[in-house]
Amino acid sequence: MENIIEFKNVNKWFGKLHVLKDINLQIPKGEILVICGPSGSGKSTLIRCINRLEDIQKGEIIVNKIPVHDKSASLTRLRADIGFVFQQFHLYPHMTVLQNIMLAPVQVKKMDKAKAETIAMEKLDRVGLAEKSGAYPAQLSGGQQQRVAIARGLAMSPEIMLFDEPTSALDPEMIGEVLDVMVNLVSEGMTMCVVTHEMGFAKKVAHRVLFMDEGKIIETGTPSDFFDHPKTDRAASFISMILTH
Amino acid sequence: MMAFYFSRLVEIFPFFLKGLWMTSKVAFISLVTCTLLGFILGIFRSGKNKIVKRVIGFYVAFVRGTPFVVQVFIIFFILPEWGMQLKAFPAALLAMGIMGSAFICEIVAGGISSISKGQWEAAAASGLNLVQQLRWVILPQAMKVILPPLVGQYVLLIKDTSVVSVIGVMELTRVGWVTVVRIPEGLMVFSLVGALYFVISYPLILLSNYLEQKMAV
Repeated sequence: MENIIEFKNVNKWFGKLHVLKDINLQIPKGEILVICGPSGSGKSTLIRCINRLEDIQKGEIIVNKIPVHDKSASLTRLRADIGFVFQQFHLYPHMTVLQNIMLAPVQVKKMDKAKAETIAMEKLDRVGLAEKSGAYPAQLSGGQQQRVAIARGLAMSPEIMLFDEPTSALDPEMIGEVLDVMVNLVSEGMTMCVVTHEMGFAKKVAHRVLFMDEGKIIETGTPSDFFDHPKTDRAASFISMILTH
Repeated sequence: MMAFYFSRLVEIFPFFLKGLWMTSKVAFISLVTCTLLGFILGIFRSGKNKIVKRVIGFYVAFVRGTPFVVQVFIIFFILPEWGMQLKAFPAALLAMGIMGSAFICEIVAGGISSISKGQWEAAAASGLNLVQQLRWVILPQAMKVILPPLVGQYVLLIKDTSVVSVIGVMELTRVGWVTVVRIPEGLMVFSLVGALYFVISYPLILLSNYLEQKMAV
């Protein structure tokens, strides 16, 4: 299987802080990858590098054959093919749900409005919120907002979906509805990278789990291998921590 | 005597209207220019380029740190030194444009910086370029913060047009000066001048108050 995302010796610093250390990573097309690790381990930074929300200082990142590390790379082309879901949703508060989802298809892909609306309604239906198309984000619960954000990401029909702790800002009773939507996406064959501590989700759908600590990839493995037989002490203590939590 | 002067004042009232017209003209043209320029500067001031930010920052500081009347004199007297013979009216517009855009720049930059980084990132992540991010996501939200102080600034700018009387632009305040020489009832003359300014600025003050209430919700 060809790799859709590739990190080669990637290094990143925030000022003096070395946040990504010699990251090497290949993500084959269609893989569901879960990234976990303690806070400050660099996992969010790692996926934010994929669509260049963060610049790297050393190494190479190739996404969809586009050299992301290259300063002259077309960000618009790169990002049009990657959906990104934030921890804090970041819906546009001045737009309705439907307008939120239609904005990128109309502005970036120059799609005509009627077609964009059809697609937006389709995606909204996908996340179970078709009846909320006219609502404003502030009128929705956190879980609903995050589902709209997922629909917004899907509207560009991306090859890759990135999730940066999509359930961490949610009340416990809303986590399930968001995870359900994400599980449903798996059948579409998109490549998905999910930063999360949701072990249930990882075990259910992930092909591979990647454990990070202090800017390094400590270990990778299938979900059952990783969670049941972690190879490193650091991974073991992390797993016991999220279990007892 | 009072009644005599009053009837004289009524007689030359068209002269005041001319002054009011000139004030409105200076105000209107400079408000439009200041707004355009102020938004452009404000957008760059909240951008990423450090050199550009610093240059604009210095420009704003200079304008805020010197009296407007001095700025007017500098423009009026320096340009001939450089071989540019500028008449009073265009010199007044230039001075107003430079001064007003600096203040509006700060208002716009403040509004833009009030929008969370996440909004920029969400827009960028979906493929929107910088102009599209501003046009569709950032500015519509920032306008809520910008609008009330912007209209308030308009009121200040309209009043500041009185300063350009010093270089001979025949606007409302200058009309007052010229009139008071012939009708030595200073209080009467300048009350009229004040009332005419108030006629233009009061609706804007009301608008500013209204916007402040509406945007606060």
